[in-house]
Amino acid sequence: MRVRVKYFASFRDMTEKTEESLEVPEGITVEGLREHIKGLYVKMARREQVLVAVNGVFVPLETVVREGADVAFFPPVSGG
Amino acid sequence: MIRVQREDVDIDAVLEAVKSMKSGCVVSFLGTVRDVSEGRGVQRMSIEVYEEMAVKQLSIIRDEALELFGVHEVAVVHRYGNLEVGDNIVYIGVSAGHREEAFQACRYVIDELKERVPLWKKEYTADEEVWVEGDRRE
Repeated sequence: MRVRVKYFASFRDMTEKTEESLEVPEGITVEGLREHIKGLYVKMARREQVLVAVNGVFVPLETVVREGADVAFFPPVSGG
Repeated sequence: MIRVQREDVDIDAVLEAVKSMKSGCVVSFLGTVRDVSEGRGVQRMSIEVYEEMAVKQLSIIRDEALELFGVHEVAVVHRYGNLEVGDNIVYIGVSAGHREEAFQACRYVIDELKERVPLWKKEYTADEEVWVEGDRRE
């Protein structure tokens, strides 16, 4: 199945992408997808904190990612 | 009022939006661009946002503040894009019956915003650009 993956801030710099469509196995969890992405981008793998949101919401790492989901990866936030 | 925008904050409009006849006070917080960060001179800043999520997160934090502290209204306006030293970054307004809960709620909103709203600052010094990530500079 395909999911849409978005990258923000320094992760956008590391991947040189704002978003991409990825083919991943059915039933993959948020944590599984995060590991998959770390495998694709070695600079992200080195980062201690890789935050993930699915469809604009923080979800538990064991959540199963559905086909067509929007999954965002980003570093710790720094607004305010 | 929850907004994420490039334009400067209309502070009077935010205050008008939160004030009400039953409220005895409005407490507000204004965050601005500093000219120094971790001992290095900052010349300007840019802020990136995941806009759709930021608006959702701010709405959740606003609802939590209303519920937790029993305040009357909470408004948050956060800017993104290119900012100069001294520019406004974020403005929070909280109205309540009394100051105690208004101060607590305002503090809660800015503290939670800094933890879980997807916005990222980039600071520009004389010789480099640095992403600010949580408490770190990358």
